[in-house]
Amino acid sequence: MSFEPKIIAFCCNWCSYAAADLAGTARMQYPHNVRIIRVMCSGMVHPEHVMDALGQGADGVLVLG
Amino acid sequence: MLDTKKVGSVMIVGGGVTGMQAALDLADSGYYVYLVEKSGAIGGAMAQLDKTFPTNDCSM
Amino acid sequence: MTLSEVTGIAGVAGDFTVTVKEAPRYVDMDKCIACGACTEKCPKKVDSEYNAGTGKRKAIYVKYAQAVPLKYQIDPLNCIRLQKPGACGFCEKVCDAGAINFDDTEKIHQINVGAVVLAPGFEAYDPKDAQVWGYGTMPNVITAMQLERYLSASGPTEGHLVRPSDGKPVNKVAFLQCIGSRDENLCGNGYCSSVCCMYAIKEAVIAKDHVPGLSASIFYMDMRTHGKDFDKYLERAREDSGVRFVRCRINGVEPQGTNGDLRLHYINERGRQVEEYYDMVVLSVGLQTPKHVLELAHTAGIQLTADKFAATSDFSPVQTSQAGIFTCGAFAGPKDIPQSVVEGSAAAAAVADLLAPARHQLSTEATFPTEKDVSGDDPRIGVFVCHCGSNIAGVVDVKAVEDYAATLPNVVYVERNLFSCSQDTQEQITKRIQEKDLNRIVIAACTPRTHEPLFRETLKAAGLNEYLVEMANIRNHNSWVHVADPAKATAKAKDLVRMAAAKVTFGTSLKPISVPITQKGLIIGGGVAGMTSALNLAEQGFEVHLVERTEILGGNALYLKHTWSGEHIPTQVAKLVDKVVWNDKITIHKGFEVSAVEGFVGNFKSTISSKDGVSKVIEHGIGIVATGANIYTPDEYGYGSIKRVVTSIEFDKLHELKEKTIKASHSFVFIQCVGSRETDHMYCSKVCCTHSVQSAIELKQEDPSRNVYILYRDMRTYGQREALYRQARKMGVIFINYELHGKPLVSENGPQVDVEVWDHVLHRPLKIKADMVILAAAIRPKSDAADLGKLYKIPVDGDGFFQEAHAKLRPVDFSTDGMFVAGMAHYPKPMEESVAQALAASARAATLLSKFEVSLDAVKATVDPEYCDGCALCVDVCPYNAITLVIKEAAVEGGQAHKIIEVNKAQCKGCGLCQGTCPKRGVYIAGFTMKQISSQIQAALAV
Repeated sequence: MSFEPKIIAFCCNWCSYAAADLAGTARMQYPHNVRIIRVMCSGMVHPEHVMDALGQGADGVLVLG
Repeated sequence: MLDTKKVGSVMIVGGGVTGMQAALDLADSGYYVYLVEKSGAIGGAMAQLDKTFPTNDCSM
Repeated sequence: MTLSEVTGIAGVAGDFTVTVKEAPRYVDMDKCIACGACTEKCPKKVDSEYNAGTGKRKAIYVKYAQAVPLKYQIDPLNCIRLQKPGACGFCEKVCDAGAINFDDTEKIHQINVGAVVLAPGFEAYDPKDAQVWGYGTMPNVITAMQLERYLSASGPTEGHLVRPSDGKPVNKVAFLQCIGSRDENLCGNGYCSSVCCMYAIKEAVIAKDHVPGLSASIFYMDMRTHGKDFDKYLERAREDSGVRFVRCRINGVEPQGTNGDLRLHYINERGRQVEEYYDMVVLSVGLQTPKHVLELAHTAGIQLTADKFAATSDFSPVQTSQAGIFTCGAFAGPKDIPQSVVEGSAAAAAVADLLAPARHQLSTEATFPTEKDVSGDDPRIGVFVCHCGSNIAGVVDVKAVEDYAATLPNVVYVERNLFSCSQDTQEQITKRIQEKDLNRIVIAACTPRTHEPLFRETLKAAGLNEYLVEMANIRNHNSWVHVADPAKATAKAKDLVRMAAAKVTFGTSLKPISVPITQKGLIIGGGVAGMTSALNLAEQGFEVHLVERTEILGGNALYLKHTWSGEHIPTQVAKLVDKVVWNDKITIHKGFEVSAVEGFVGNFKSTISSKDGVSKVIEHGIGIVATGANIYTPDEYGYGSIKRVVTSIEFDKLHELKEKTIKASHSFVFIQCVGSRETDHMYCSKVCCTHSVQSAIELKQEDPSRNVYILYRDMRTYGQREALYRQARKMGVIFINYELHGKPLVSENGPQVDVEVWDHVLHRPLKIKADMVILAAAIRPKSDAADLGKLYKIPVDGDGFFQEAHAKLRPVDFSTDGMFVAGMAHYPKPMEESVAQALAASARAATLLSKFEVSLDAVKATVDPEYCDGCALCVDVCPYNAITLVIKEAAVEGGQAHKIIEVNKAQCKGCGLCQGTCPKRGVYIAGFTMKQISSQIQAALAV
């Protein structure tokens, strides 16, 4: 059985979220394990959210901005 | 001059970064704008650039 | 209107009829959803214009991935079907949306407008014609635009720099400057294209980033990096990135052997013959006016300059020779992006001046039904799953997603749409919201960045608050990026829908925020820039206060005589002062300075004070900073101790007065860059090269036997000014280049002055006996610029000039809303650039002043008074200074007053740094609350 990590990514609306959109437009293929949460700025992400995600079973958290 | 007709719309010929700026400013200040572009999409030469000085921002 | 060209202009200023010819697109714009299925099937490949011929496109194509409008088009010359009826037609068969229309025809439109703005741009010079550079015959000789595409991640090689001939990595690249510029012999373009030096440096630096160890050399005549922060970039390229600069014009490129290597021959600065070999040669091609634009100019009946650009006056840089027809951008002379953007706004200001009486005549605002209050109701979520043709449905099992969505808590209705964004589906969604009494909506489709505004409108049309919609991005973040694994993509789509439903459950109705606007402007500085801004706003119909600290209007222009094109400055300035003084919408406050400021966009309150203690308070909606700059007083080259050493401005005055020492002088030496482009002042003062060349020409015109020398570092007569440099050389003015480490030495020698400089042609020191030495003294920022900056919370840069919001795209805005900058307060610049920037500032200001209120996005920080204890951690992190700490009176009598924060919604941009910082949940962002984000996390990890 192979390990399938669950990753939560907080993406800034103005840069990394836009980049993820563009990756789609360019049909760049990547693993499906990531779930993106859109925020208005990566600075909006509270430490509590990161702990929340890890506590509820996420194997990794990305804050992208 | 005072009683000549004034039409509240403007035509901008060219949809590059210059034409777009003029179009936005005019539309935002209460004029109807026709933006005429020769090619199939606006953006002009700047859309072709990879990155721009000084911030190396992507030109998009 | 795309694929359209102007073929005729009739009428007069204020009332033109323009004929526009629209070429057929063969794709119905209303139906095309840009899925790309047509392009995939199209069998015909042609060179891509967008990639400057470095890559291929199909006969049915979209110009580039982010194109606006994102609609495909058929190139009729290359389409097999359009060339041969009955053939091919694959695109029509695969188009789910039925958008292909081979019977599309050319349309002619007659459009009635009040004014016309010509912004047709430039084309890059095609170096094929002049065969010496081997372009078109040697594949490894490319243009700078082609390199730009090779370096781009969206380009043909995804950003990998390889040789076009054999795909081998590039280790050594040379840039040749002035290809198609400053060259009357090969191409007839005598002017300087202004932008190539800077783009070559940028490309060299980026290429070196892409390819570790790459050697990059730039062969140039003069390094013209005269724009804001350009010289600093040049120094960084030289010192940090290791780009090599060689001052030499290369006359040709030759093949070296048969493997695609290239050979350059040149004479170096020590006078030796050198031969070097390169993997790739990049031609820094210049800008020129395309033939179809010359035809357009002819149609419009406007005059052109000798260099084939639109002719304008330095005092009205966007007005063509025809009233009511304006121009901006590279058509009005070669220029870079910021200056083009400035002129775009300036043209808008000029149009608004002409058409002020007709403002709001034709623009309309949409109306919506009254909003339903759903705050007390239980959530009733409707989920709409989009197929996006086959874009989503081709990978994701949308039926399974639909069925799954119906099982989620609070979801009461689900349906699938072929295209959720199409006009008819929009109407259907509106109907469903009303029918099924939905109060929360999830759209599982594409990205909210492009489509959320559309769906917000749909909700508004249904009488639902526009913030009660959430999008699940199951296209860009899912079906498009997991093509090979439909099962996993379907599972992820379900997750994304679940997350969106969870978030929208906690969504609340948000009220639009609007701020009333005081429809008055305050302009600080009564020089040419300030007066131009004031006059334009007044002509547009707005009341203006003009504050000038001295007792006289005119600023630095009072010291100047002619613009570069020879227009008489005193006459023009006098006219401008007259117009400003007599305009009854302008109130002039001479002898006053701004001393205190409160408020924000739309509602500023500035206190102005005079030296004798009088103060007044001015309420205004916007402010324009046009405080100008100073002239540097040199302490080098014997200035102040040797009488015959003077600054350019002093010399002009003496010359104009026909002072006797000057009349008797025979030998003149101009020294450039005095106080510019060195250690603490690493910027170019931009105007001095042209100024000295003009003075030199005048001296030679008066008496051709005079010896006139100009000692320079790089001769920066950019753009069409190059004609002056050419003329000066023809007249026998002697130009001697010096480097920073070999500055000229100036010493008094009896009645004369000895100037010693290294001569690069003779390779030995040269001593000139000068009668007059003229120093091109730098332009310095106002020493108290930062103080004014603090009052309005607007920054100054490292050199002390005011810092605009974005160097390229917002060149006259400040990051503080409602504040704008114009003229030399921003950076040294010549007359026409100051005027253009002043007009641009007015245009930008008018976008606010023309409204009675500004409406703002409701995604803003909101204080929760129950939890906020006034710890003020958020006050420091807020990048927009939107948060202040206030004392809150006790709620009950006898209770304790405590501190709490207050958010200024007009200044808040909703970034949420406060929410991320607050340890007590005392502040939240509407639409992105802690609860909403937590619910998304929980939903994401629930299965």
